[in-house]
Amino acid sequence: MSNIIFELKDVHYSYMGKFPALCGIDMTIRSGEKIAVIGANGTGKSTLLQLLDGLIFPDQGNMTAFGERLLEHSHDDEKAAHRFRKRVGLVFQNADIQLFCPSVREDIAFGPLQLGVAEKEVKRRILEIAQVLDIQHLLDRVPHQLSIGEKRRVAIASVLAIDPDVYLFDEPTAGLDPLTVRHIIDFIVTANQRGKTIITATHDLHIIGEIADTVYVFGRNKRIVSGGSSESVLNDNPLLELNNLIHIHRHQHDGQEHVHKHLPLEEH
Amino acid sequence: MSKTLHKRSDFIKRSMLSALVFLKDATLSEEYANRKGFLQSLDPRIKTISLLAFLVTMISLKSAVLIGTLYGFCLILAFSSSIPIRHFLGRTLFFIPFFSLCIVLPTLFSTVTPGDPVCSFNVLGINGTLTRPGIDGALLFVVRIATSVSLVVLLSLTTRHSELLKVLRIFGIPYIFVLTVSMCYRYLYIFATMVENIFTAVKSRVGVVSHHRHGQNVVAWNIANTWNRTTQMSEEVYMAMLSRGYTGEPRLLSQFYATPKDWVWLLSSLIICAGLFYSGHIL
Repeated sequence: MSNIIFELKDVHYSYMGKFPALCGIDMTIRSGEKIAVIGANGTGKSTLLQLLDGLIFPDQGNMTAFGERLLEHSHDDEKAAHRFRKRVGLVFQNADIQLFCPSVREDIAFGPLQLGVAEKEVKRRILEIAQVLDIQHLLDRVPHQLSIGEKRRVAIASVLAIDPDVYLFDEPTAGLDPLTVRHIIDFIVTANQRGKTIITATHDLHIIGEIADTVYVFGRNKRIVSGGSSESVLNDNPLLELNNLIHIHRHQHDGQEHVHKHLPLEEH
Repeated sequence: MSKTLHKRSDFIKRSMLSALVFLKDATLSEEYANRKGFLQSLDPRIKTISLLAFLVTMISLKSAVLIGTLYGFCLILAFSSSIPIRHFLGRTLFFIPFFSLCIVLPTLFSTVTPGDPVCSFNVLGINGTLTRPGIDGALLFVVRIATSVSLVVLLSLTTRHSELLKVLRIFGIPYIFVLTVSMCYRYLYIFATMVENIFTAVKSRVGVVSHHRHGQNVVAWNIANTWNRTTQMSEEVYMAMLSRGYTGEPRLLSQFYATPKDWVWLLSSLIICAGLFYSGHIL
């Protein structure tokens, strides 16, 4: 189909050739989809996002992006690299890695400037994005002085400034307060409504219903153990329990012990 | 545990933590740069050029009175830039000039600088004579040092470090160098915090008092651990740069705008420099 963005066939990847991170991934991602990749720690979610962002390349198997095979030398040509980078943006899990410039303004400007956007247009985008993400007051601050939530919003802004077709989010809500989580969910939903493709790696099951229509579950064997609609996956308790995504919770009500399954951080 | 052991183990910890606190305070504090004041309101490029012009003029002057006048002008600039005078004097007039005086102390005496004697004394059977050229030379040296330090302190206190680095571009320093130094500066804070956290973690597990040899081990672990994390983080940061289109030729945002006020200040500064230079020539 013409609207396929990424296609992965039997993709394997290992770190330093001896620590497997992905073992035979098959996946097809179409334009405008809202996808979540869930799994316990160390199941290869972040590695998958780095593959999709063309930062690392498969050891085995085929991977195509926008109809072209993605190979290590694909980005040797600056124009081809820029074409790809304009279409795919990754928000890293650790905002301190993403925010490497001495000020927030320069961090937001970095992406579009490298991609050849005119400086006048970059400055216009900075102001517009700052307003959308409510970070106008942070523009001249240095990133290390910001809170985790502020850093995460600036990290999103740094990718939003490129205006890619595909957004990759690595644990976008980890360690954030509820209001900031809400803002990020709203941003993801709005971006998808504007036609952007969203791929999110997370183990926060509370946000899945809103940020994804399709969910892939990664297992400890570094493979996709299940995939389907978010509703069907979230209702499959044995699957979630087997993959460390829910736990058995034991507590007391009026002196009587009570045992039930529990999503992480779920209220009861 | 003996008191000596406690002191020795404390020495390592205190030295490391003090070094970290100093690093953060010295390089990362931008308290005065964020205040509203005269120098803060100037374009960093114009400010750097004007203060550099004062510095060059000052070096060419041979009159302590004229250099002292320039120091007085620095005080006025500090006051108009919301820098507390006591803080400014502390940084410019006490320690550095004091050490400069220690360096030039021998030149005060007739044995090093012959000339008209001002006063003679005898301490423990050793005769000493202070000479007029010796005193004048020492005074000129100390005032020159104090004024140079003042000009540099004014620039560094009233300019954000990131802007200061970008000013390097006007001297033709390549973008890649400016970007690399900016990133080093950015990550200094993260690594300083990381080392601090490691010390806190070690303290929480082994307690406050430990043998000094253990303390040395902790420092060695710290160095190794920080090295590993630095390497790992540098790879990840490079990936983050690639992800946003970096291909080895960085482009940075130019943020400086010179206003009429900046040009008036630059012209005034050059006139003052010319005036000082002329006065120094005829005095």
